[in-house]
Amino acid sequence: MDLSTVLLVSLVGAVIAPFVAARAGVLAGPLAAALPAILFAWFFAQIDAVGTAPIVQVLPWVPSLGIDLTFRLDGFSLLFALLITGIGTLVTLYAASYMSAKPPFARAQFLLYILLFMTAMLATVTADNLVALFVFWEMTSLLSFLLVGFQSEDAKARKAALQSLLVTAGGGLALLAGIILIGVEAGTFSLAAITANPAPILESPLLPAIVVCVLIGAFTKSAQFPFHFWLPNAMKAPTPASAYLHSATMVKLGVYLLARLDPVFAGAPWVGATLVAFGGVTMLIAALQALRAVELKAVLAFSTVASLGTLVMLIGLDGPVSSVAVVGFILAHALYKATLFFCAGIVIHATHETKLRSLGGLAALLPVTAGATLLASFSMAGLPPFIGFISKEYLFEAKLESSLDTIAVIIGVLVNAVMVAIAGVLALKPFFGRAKKPIHVSHGEQPGMIIGPILLAVTGVAFGLVPSLVSYALITPAAIAIHGAPFEVSFKLWHGFTPMLALSGLVVALGAVLAWFWDPIHLALRRRRVFDEVFSDRGYEVVLERTLALARWSTNRLQNGDLRVYGAVVAASVTGLLAYGLMSGEGPLLPNVGAEPLRPYLVVVCALIVAGCVVAAVVPSLVTAIVAVGLSGYGLALVFLLNGGPDLALTQFSVETLFVVIVTAVLLKLPTVARSSRTPGERWVDATVATCFAACVLVATLWIKAKPFNTQLTEYFAVTSVPEGFGRNVVNVILVDFRALDTFGEIAVVAFAALGAWALLRSGSAIRRTGKGA
Amino acid sequence: MTLIYALAIAAYVGCGLYMMLSRHAVRMILGLTLLTNGAIFLIFLSGRVGTTTPPVIPQGAEALAADAANALPQALVLTAIVIGFALTSFAVALVLEAHRSLGTLDVREMRDAERLGAPDPSPATSVKTHG
Repeated sequence: MDLSTVLLVSLVGAVIAPFVAARAGVLAGPLAAALPAILFAWFFAQIDAVGTAPIVQVLPWVPSLGIDLTFRLDGFSLLFALLITGIGTLVTLYAASYMSAKPPFARAQFLLYILLFMTAMLATVTADNLVALFVFWEMTSLLSFLLVGFQSEDAKARKAALQSLLVTAGGGLALLAGIILIGVEAGTFSLAAITANPAPILESPLLPAIVVCVLIGAFTKSAQFPFHFWLPNAMKAPTPASAYLHSATMVKLGVYLLARLDPVFAGAPWVGATLVAFGGVTMLIAALQALRAVELKAVLAFSTVASLGTLVMLIGLDGPVSSVAVVGFILAHALYKATLFFCAGIVIHATHETKLRSLGGLAALLPVTAGATLLASFSMAGLPPFIGFISKEYLFEAKLESSLDTIAVIIGVLVNAVMVAIAGVLALKPFFGRAKKPIHVSHGEQPGMIIGPILLAVTGVAFGLVPSLVSYALITPAAIAIHGAPFEVSFKLWHGFTPMLALSGLVVALGAVLAWFWDPIHLALRRRRVFDEVFSDRGYEVVLERTLALARWSTNRLQNGDLRVYGAVVAASVTGLLAYGLMSGEGPLLPNVGAEPLRPYLVVVCALIVAGCVVAAVVPSLVTAIVAVGLSGYGLALVFLLNGGPDLALTQFSVETLFVVIVTAVLLKLPTVARSSRTPGERWVDATVATCFAACVLVATLWIKAKPFNTQLTEYFAVTSVPEGFGRNVVNVILVDFRALDTFGEIAVVAFAALGAWALLRSGSAIRRTGKGA
Repeated sequence: MTLIYALAIAAYVGCGLYMMLSRHAVRMILGLTLLTNGAIFLIFLSGRVGTTTPPVIPQGAEALAADAANALPQALVLTAIVIGFALTSFAVALVLEAHRSLGTLDVREMRDAERLGAPDPSPATSVKTHG
């Protein structure tokens, strides 16, 4: 199987599996989880191949624009793919059990979203073409929206879903702009080609614009300051979705993209400094908010934001060690944070209690959950021999080796100490602490829900004890892929007595103190309402409100239900287009139409037409206006008569007469003197628009006359009328013979107009009967 | 001569548009009629004018005389006049019925389908507070 087939299998399976599973009862979980498990196995089998060279597959999509469905599986993509499918398997199992009380359709719907999301994620991290990447990237945003708002009967869930969509998809638009700029400057959308030759982008004057656009895209997706607020709100999603999207995979996409583009941005040192700054601010805010958070999932969410900040900071640091640190931390974080979310979900599901401070004494009731939480917390706290310890060692090594060591290390120590404290509180308080009031557990641990946390927690230990399991297969290829050049990677548990070890010790000691005094610190910080003001989504609300106000304002202006405004806008637009066309055309504005002898009769007739029109337009009395319109119509009939069109003249005379008679007859029923319906100002505007339009038509008419005349059709009718149409009046022959179908259509139009008028005017029409009441 | 014709056409469409932008339904119909006439005149003129001989083939001849008027625009104009009349008649019926059931000829007051000024009632006030 090649890469695109795998993605196709994933897509088709994602659509089919949930509905099969929904009918399968207890087997639902395993059946649905079979799909991600198979995909995991496939990606696992690619480890050797990817270790030597990336797997590339090109499917033409829009080749003329350089947009292809290029899929490229290198070490970094493979790491993500394994995390996506591996955790995806466990999430699917977990979700089937978590949702077992829901109706079958809701269950199938949830699994569908999860598996579709998995497909979109796989496509995003394997896409090499930036445009394709963007498309899949936005798909993940969309599915995140559906999952956050899954409990759609909850207004807060809907609000959070909309917020996550607006922030991530809005950032996605900025990313698209950045991608297009990159494509323009680099001449290609291929990530591999761009990172292999970053010079065109680095030398481009558009570099700042590119960086800003890409950073907005990445920061919104990965919840970096100032867009950090949406991720904690997104915790309204069911816990399996939070574990999967908002911790392990989707929110790392921003980090993924930044890491991918790191070889390019490494050439501009200010980009790295920007990343360190934003990552650092995000870490500090998230650590503070994590200390203040009340709900279990909110604590996890803020610690996730802090971790994402750490990753962004690491990418901003220079040196190859930071690549190893990024890869190691992504792996470690996915393993322990998914476990913690799973365990939090089990606790919430069993106790229906979401507040951290209300929980306690659950170790006896949920022993396996307690064990898994404990293991994951140790990893999160960075204690040996867990993988979290190794990744933290690299984290500090990367910071110490970089040129921005002091500030990075200080922030790192502070935030990691908070992480240690959070890990301690999360593991100890709900399970081993004392509950304020007795906790009721509605059910014990279900096998489908407990298998995920056990596996992940044990994996975390295994990778920590035997780093060679992942070192050569995953960490090295991934780190080399994002560093852009091969280098020696040593991912091992014991580094000897190094500064990093000392920092780790310091962090753990600080964290232990924080954890010990958690309650007073938490309550003291909680009372400082000022943080709610500063770090909340206030800015988002203001932007949203202003945008809506602008929309209402423009709607009031443009879509206000006033027919005159609509008409004036349309007329002005058409006039503008006409004028533009005339002015941008070749030659002078006014063409030379040649001198012709004036025909006195016709000059008088035309004067009559003009007079009739002007009188009709300005006179207040409707009767006078009708007569004036009729007069100008007679003038047109005279023009026909004097230019060889007696048939036309006859028709025009009859129609004009009928018009005057009908409208006057109708006016008998209507008020004859109309009060002015326009203010003087509006009349001036309308007169200006109308005058401009008339001027454009005048010039256009002259141009028609000035252009050479094609007589082909005229001559054809002139010579074929008698032999083929057997008629001597050529106009009639054209109407009833050459263009008979058109004439038939015309008759149909007249018939329909008559039908419509009859329906409107017959006594007691339906409109009048119902219209009054409406 | 073309300039004179073009001026007449411009008068038709200019005055027609000006009247169509009115909010009085009958004036809009009159404007529509003027616009129709302007369009018809333009079609007629674009087929070139000047001769007074109608496009009729005399008995005995097989083809039109060289100085006869152009038949094609005349055929088009004939169709246009009739369709324009049908349109006007329908519009007159519409206005009459509108006046009978709504009691007004002012299009501002014909707003059962679309409210004037605001897409929905509540935001009008919030615009003032936020905008």
